Amino acid sequence: MSRRWRARLRRTGILMGLVLFVVWTLAPIVWALISSFLPLRALTATPPDLAPGNFTLDNYLGVLSADRDLIGGLRNSAIVASFTAALALLIGSSAAYALARLRVPGSSKILMLILVTQMFPAMVIIIPLFIVLSRTGLTDSQVGLMIVYLSFVLPIVIWVLKGFFEAVPRELERAAAVDGASTMQTFRLVVLPISLPPLFATGVFAFIEAWNEFFFAVILTQSNAKTAPVVVAEFSGQYVSLYGQMVAAAVIASIPVIVLAIVFRRYILEGFVEGAVKG
Amino acid sequence: MADVELRAITKRYGAVAACADVNLHVADGEFVTLLGPSGCGKTTTLNIIAGLDEPTSGEVLMGGRVVNDLTPYERDVAMVFQNYALYPHMSVADNIGFTLRLRKRPRDEIRRRVQTVAEMLELAHVLDRLPRELSGGQQQRVALGRAVIREPAVFLFDEPFSNLDAALRVKMRVEVKELHQRLGITSLFVTHDQEEALSLSDRIAIMRDGHVEQVGTPDDVYAQPRTRYVARFIGSPQMDIFSGRLERRDGVAAYVVGSAAFEIPAGAAPAYDGDLDLGVRAEHVRLNAGGIPMPVRVVQPLGSMTYVTVGWDEELLTSRLLGMAHLPPGEAVTVSLDPAGLLFFDRASGRRVLPDGTLA
Repeated sequence: MSRRWRARLRRTGILMGLVLFVVWTLAPIVWALISSFLPLRALTATPPDLAPGNFTLDNYLGVLSADRDLIGGLRNSAIVASFTAALALLIGSSAAYALARLRVPGSSKILMLILVTQMFPAMVIIIPLFIVLSRTGLTDSQVGLMIVYLSFVLPIVIWVLKGFFEAVPRELERAAAVDGASTMQTFRLVVLPISLPPLFATGVFAFIEAWNEFFFAVILTQSNAKTAPVVVAEFSGQYVSLYGQMVAAAVIASIPVIVLAIVFRRYILEGFVEGAVKG
Repeated sequence: MADVELRAITKRYGAVAACADVNLHVADGEFVTLLGPSGCGKTTTLNIIAGLDEPTSGEVLMGGRVVNDLTPYERDVAMVFQNYALYPHMSVADNIGFTLRLRKRPRDEIRRRVQTVAEMLELAHVLDRLPRELSGGQQQRVALGRAVIREPAVFLFDEPFSNLDAALRVKMRVEVKELHQRLGITSLFVTHDQEEALSLSDRIAIMRDGHVEQVGTPDDVYAQPRTRYVARFIGSPQMDIFSGRLERRDGVAAYVVGSAAFEIPAGAAPAYDGDLDLGVRAEHVRLNAGGIPMPVRVVQPLGSMTYVTVGWDEELLTSRLLGMAHLPPGEAVTVSLDPAGLLFFDRASGRRVLPDGTLA
């Protein structure tokens, strides 16, 4: 076989792999979208009845008018996820910079410890966590959820940002020192501005984690602080399961995350550090 | 304005000494170059002067005051880095004015001073651009501007031209020299390029393995190198150094390298018989003015001059002729050495042996 043919075959193989991956990723989402527009009768038929006449907005209208508070859930999710992301960036970037650049005694041990906190399964920590939160009166509260989510996202934010800060050319910080900047000023005026892409990326990551989280939310909230995923799950009840409405609610709850990803994609990918130093 | 003095500066990383007992005095307004190959400790020395590194022992003085415990800012030094280290997210104007902004100078003063510096460095038309939108030479000038606007007591340059192409490097050299002549600010310049050092400096400190091998004016280090190392490092083409013997035949001194014996007039060599290294620069090798017949090996015309390399046994010797010389390889020429340009070195220590027999 000639070299050109082999290259062509290779490319076709890669392409087919990518197509499979895309189908595999998108199929559930497409199915969710389709079923959100179908009445229960058409959805539960075997095979599902996809006749064009069956498509309807009833599920969406039903969701919004239902006594289940999806809007309230979305609001709770938005508040918890936004604050989680903002605090994760504030605390995470400072911690990461300190660990990357300042002489912190035992910094490698601290880093390992941060990582170790990630290694316990949720099932292991949920009960002690519940007890702690209820003793401090933080169950069913937005603050309680934020604290819990922060404890999950912070380690990852710290590790990712630390790796990035270490890659910031040291000369930039030396130049700032010679120009008369304090460590804080160097961090704020030089390091942070050139670190926008990873800050966006980790911020979006923290937001999505908090937005999508279900397990802790369903256990730690009852009514006031219920987040969107919890509300969505409640459409599947003990006596009736409103699949169509449930999927419609899920689609609505997914929109902010998708918008976020699309909006920030450009910033996340942009090579901001380019042109900082030559060599 | 300040003079800079290094007193017994030593910097150890574990068992390795990056600087070992470096002593140097740079007078107020002087331009001194730290010259040496990579790893000789010149950049470490510069960072210690800047206050970016701490010495393991020793003192740094500026204006007669010990500054070991002061920050770079408090030392009032400005530095130009090898890779420029421009702030990538700031415009040229903001890069140059950053230090004034940190000092909380009024906005219009900053703008005025940035403008003055930009005009001096031909950057006025690119003030709004980001560093990545500039050419290499412009980026280099922004780095200079950032240092100049401070009107610092001391300028520090860390191989500032090594990322530029050859033509630009020579151009920037002229600009830096002009800048120094105009501002008269005490300057320390680190480079591994001996030509850069010779062309810019009032004095050159040649470093080797963490210590200063010789400090002197460009004339000094070029014509009177104290060691074989300095002799080899300074000058282009590199000085030819032979491992031969001084002999006396019928009362006449001769330097013997393999089958060749160069006659040495009285007074040009130490009164000594035995092994001695001989260094001679290309401009002191005379062709076709009497001497030993040898074949031409390689001819390199360079326009204003031509390097002609002759050879015998395993040895090569390069001569410099002015203008374009056309000699076919293999042609026989006679070779003699200008007695004024003979430098003898002790083989074991590498130190120069003066005509009176003492070590330099």
